[in-house]
Amino acid sequence: MYAKEMVKQSLPLLIVCGLGAIVAGSTLGLMLDLFRRIPGLLIVIPGIIALRGNISTALGSRLGSAYHLGVIDEGNLWNDELKENILGSLVLSFFVSLIIGVFAFLSSFLLNVYLDPVKIIFITVLAGVISALVQTVMTVGIIFLVFKRGYDPDNITGPVLATFGDIITICCIFFVASLVEVML
Amino acid sequence: MIYSWKKIVKHGLPLLSVTIFIEIAAGQLLQGNEEVLMLFPIFLISVPVINSVGGNIGSILGARLASGLHVGYISLSLKDKEMHDNLFMSLLLGGVTYIVLAVIIYLVYIVFLSRSSAGGDVGLVDFISIVFLTGVLLVFVVSIVSVFTAFLSYKKGVDPDDMVAPVVTTIGDVMGILFLFLLIQIVLGV
Repeated sequence: MYAKEMVKQSLPLLIVCGLGAIVAGSTLGLMLDLFRRIPGLLIVIPGIIALRGNISTALGSRLGSAYHLGVIDEGNLWNDELKENILGSLVLSFFVSLIIGVFAFLSSFLLNVYLDPVKIIFITVLAGVISALVQTVMTVGIIFLVFKRGYDPDNITGPVLATFGDIITICCIFFVASLVEVML
Repeated sequence: MIYSWKKIVKHGLPLLSVTIFIEIAAGQLLQGNEEVLMLFPIFLISVPVINSVGGNIGSILGARLASGLHVGYISLSLKDKEMHDNLFMSLLLGGVTYIVLAVIIYLVYIVFLSRSSAGGDVGLVDFISIVFLTGVLLVFVVSIVSVFTAFLSYKKGVDPDDMVAPVVTTIGDVMGILFLFLLIQIVLGV
């Protein structure tokens, strides 16, 4: 029966990922004031978290494949192939954050709620791009460390990014939204 | 050169746009229930937890089904016993995980956050019941979605490994938030 092994292998990982999510959720809990002061900020939260998951884990798994294809290795990490991958992720993050901001505005408009479009789009794009930058640096850093140890990047990048990605993303929104509240 | 940033953007954008469209619906649900979240911030803390566990379990199930279909020990039938066993294990795994995490969220909230927010109190038993029931409902739906996505994509000749995770996590995000507010309403009557 595989039941025992499934519980033994999956349960600890699920709990650890859950603990990461609790840190992420607690950060949201600290942002109550901001949610009150910036209507619409809550709307972009699920989207921007999902964006993180999709773009950075895709980058991690592409770099894993690049390693298996022999395109990057420990002696030759910072090359044009890596730069294309990083640029692709960053451009994608920019466009998708922009779409999140615009959708948030439009869907609210359809629900007869008028948000400040400049504010919500600016916060979403800036938070999306900053968190993409942080996570790209982190991904490349992880790949570098993994190479040095001789491990397979495919086994490491996914879970690490899944656990820390949400926390980083929410901290970025927290930071950018606070900044915008103070400045505008 | 194998990779080009233009190709990465071109391949990623369509699926991501669809994903984002659904995630905005999840966000509107959050915004629409803002008052409940402000009154009981402990549920705001729970949102990423509920969704990440649901997404993870759905993805694990999907990956297991995909491997089973590829290797051949799972057949393309809704009566497949191996598939039923996997589905049952997902529910069990989900139930246990949600109870453990609900207790931890409650402790974290009481110790670190309850004083800084002027929120209302939710009893431990009420809170655990809400998170547990939301979780089990979510895992059930996510598992069904996972089975259908894996089976359909396998049937159409698309690798289920590419399809299941994004579909399951996106649908899971909306359903998780929907079920959470539904159960808050049923259990707490707000």
